[in-house]
Amino acid sequence: MEKLYVNEIGSNGEASTVGLFYSRGEAEQIIAQLQRIPEKSDCRYEIVEIASGSSSTDLSQA
Amino acid sequence: MRGTTPRREQGMADPVLASMVHAMGLETARHYTAATPKIQAYRDSWVKLAKFRDGPVNPQHVEVSDPATVAQQIKAKAMALGANMVGICRLQPHMIDLGEDVSHEFVIVACVAEDYERVLHGASAVEEEAMRAYAKCTEIATALAAHVRNLGYPARAHHNGASEVQAIPIFYQVGFGELGRNGSLINEKYGASFRPGFVTTDLPLVEDRPREFGVQDFCMNCNVCQLNCPGDAISKDHVVTRGIKRWLIDLEKCYPYSRLRDEYCHLCVDVCPYNVKSHPETFKAFMKERKQVGYKTPTSW
Repeated sequence: MEKLYVNEIGSNGEASTVGLFYSRGEAEQIIAQLQRIPEKSDCRYEIVEIASGSSSTDLSQA
Repeated sequence: MRGTTPRREQGMADPVLASMVHAMGLETARHYTAATPKIQAYRDSWVKLAKFRDGPVNPQHVEVSDPATVAQQIKAKAMALGANMVGICRLQPHMIDLGEDVSHEFVIVACVAEDYERVLHGASAVEEEAMRAYAKCTEIATALAAHVRNLGYPARAHHNGASEVQAIPIFYQVGFGELGRNGSLINEKYGASFRPGFVTTDLPLVEDRPREFGVQDFCMNCNVCQLNCPGDAISKDHVVTRGIKRWLIDLEKCYPYSRLRDEYCHLCVDVCPYNVKSHPETFKAFMKERKQVGYKTPTSW
């Protein structure tokens, strides 16, 4: 099962992890829902794939 | 107000669990089919109460001149109904499920502590206790919402039977504690051994504030939940959401122990050292018993 983080990057560049998802379809669906929220129109989203066998990546250091 | 936080569905509606169950050639997770009659009765109770979570509002509403006093009265009411902790905050979009619309201004959270002594009676006893706490929270939230509507203000209960709000951001905002490595919010008195019910409302109230007492720093060094998770589902590293450290649980690793066996898994909550403050002797006895069967503790202990 693939593991994907969805990250939200605000207009000030601040990154915030939305959550951990287990399929690209699920991650893309979440992003599409977030992009429909007017207050988040300035945000951009990225999907980060986690290497197989790893449960997490320290994104705060990215 | 539109919600902005994705909710992971529970039970077989969760696509991760469903795919794992189907890969095993099963129709449902063993955890759900193996429920004892008592556990099933608790689950049925919150399903039955779901239809009473909202209702007509008394057209003659009580005038509120002092929201602080009303907040104290609401907290006292929740405690009288059986809550161990009550908090209030202003409802914000990130506290609501993505796509849901909740127009209320405030959210009240009432928590029931689990009886930590039950850990010594094994996994089934722990699960029954957790379900008892959830069922009690459902009763409290339902009764509290009805009480507020009787005062003349809209109010809706949110609990295991039906909910549009997210527990963790509300816990944090009302000052119950901080997020811990095990993915739960850690309270200084109850650890993560408590369960919530919520009421959203327009009743004028005064909000509580977040409180930090060092949990996240403690979790950076204590990794007892991670060391003892049978599925290795608790991550070593954290991510950051809105400036708050989160250790995300890997469900693919968690579910084989927490959903695909007959017995419950509550271990990451039970081994948390924050339980020691409310139950020092039981915590020590529990950890001593567990160490004898190979559980690990940090080298600093």
